[in-house]
Amino acid sequence: MRTKNCEVIRQEIDELMLGETYSASVTEHLRECAACREFHEKQTRLRQIVGSLGTVSAPADFDFRLRARLANESNNVVSFYWPTARRGLAVAAMLVVFATGAMLVRSVWNRPTASNSVATSEQTTAPEPPKQIESHPANEAPKEVVAGITVRRVGTTKNERAASVTPKRPLATQDFSSERAQVINGQAPVDAFEAFRLDTSLQSFKVQLDDGRGNARTISVPTVSFGSQRMLQTANQYAPKRVW
Amino acid sequence: MNTLTTIEELGFAPALQQDVLEDTTSDHALLEATRTGDQDAFAELVSRYRNQITSYIYRMTNDYDGAVDLAQETFVRVYRAADRYQRSYAFSTYIYRIATNLAISELRKRKRRKLVSLTGFFQPSDGAEPQELNPPDGRPLQDLELVDTERRNAVQRAIGTLPEKYRAPLILRDVDGRSYDEIARILETSEGTVKSRISRARGFLREKMRAYL
Repeated sequence: MRTKNCEVIRQEIDELMLGETYSASVTEHLRECAACREFHEKQTRLRQIVGSLGTVSAPADFDFRLRARLANESNNVVSFYWPTARRGLAVAAMLVVFATGAMLVRSVWNRPTASNSVATSEQTTAPEPPKQIESHPANEAPKEVVAGITVRRVGTTKNERAASVTPKRPLATQDFSSERAQVINGQAPVDAFEAFRLDTSLQSFKVQLDDGRGNARTISVPTVSFGSQRMLQTANQYAPKRVW
Repeated sequence: MNTLTTIEELGFAPALQQDVLEDTTSDHALLEATRTGDQDAFAELVSRYRNQITSYIYRMTNDYDGAVDLAQETFVRVYRAADRYQRSYAFSTYIYRIATNLAISELRKRKRRKLVSLTGFFQPSDGAEPQELNPPDGRPLQDLELVDTERRNAVQRAIGTLPEKYRAPLILRDVDGRSYDEIARILETSEGTVKSRISRARGFLREKMRAYL
């Protein structure tokens, strides 16, 4: 019969580690009580089986995987802050694109489009002395002569229409000077014309354009030189008249 | 006044050197070194505890791959929390507490997902005690090793059916051989509670393992 004493004895058996020596009272009780003896045997057997489970080894690549995991963890810490930075960069990029687009639209809006002004070359003449372009009547298309090239504008831009009503200043000016190249007709003494400079002008060719809103633009064409040529000392079968 | 030039001139030099040697190889010292960025110190800690922690979590979850994963997570947490570690108790207690929490968390996740191990016990729908799928054969077996293996598998499965509050103290006591005091610290409960739970756990196991005892 299980008594209160059996409860105490079994508790002591339960709490002690396997192999530990029981107290004298437990030993004495186990000798007398068959139920507690059976409990003790089964309990010991059970604990032996549970204890035989032992330790399971970690896999061989445990350290390697752990190191990789730790490296990944540290990357995640960085990537945790990356979305915020990425959003900021995206907003900044959008602002840059918007500002660039606005500047492009503004420049296109203020500039005459190619379809509104078509330049046609009508004739080519010899260089003429500088001539100031004057304002044109409103019902007549402006006609500009630039370095021997006549430029006629077909149609007018919005800015030009506004300027034609109340012209404040000339829309375009010519400012260039040129000199005729020295004419050599082959009748001068040979020694005096061994070499000839063939410059079309002594100054650079400059054109200043003004859209009427204070936006001026100057185009400068540098002096063109063709170098020099030398006359043949003696005539030959290909150049009987001592041409160069 | 004479100036001491070497540590040997002090009478307790050998003892001091031994203390320093032990101190630099203790778990606390290794974690302290880990805190300062010493990777070798952390590797030494891992090598000391990887098998114990993996085995403990495996006994808790009965899933080796999951146990390895959780063991790694345990070390990751130790590494990350190295700055916050306090030397108020043993490092083994500290790391086992982390492992226990992870294992219990995993068991609760499984319960929510209603995952049932195919190698475990089938739970009867009428609420009766779970019965083992393959009861032991009463005929004499030729291979004692085979019997032992089958017995260990049976007890592992039986442990897997224990409620988690009984499972952890039983494993820590009967498999790992830890003291009641340490188990109480790991599980953050009293020693009396630990003893009571272990006793209850063994009672459950005796019932389930009746055929093997």
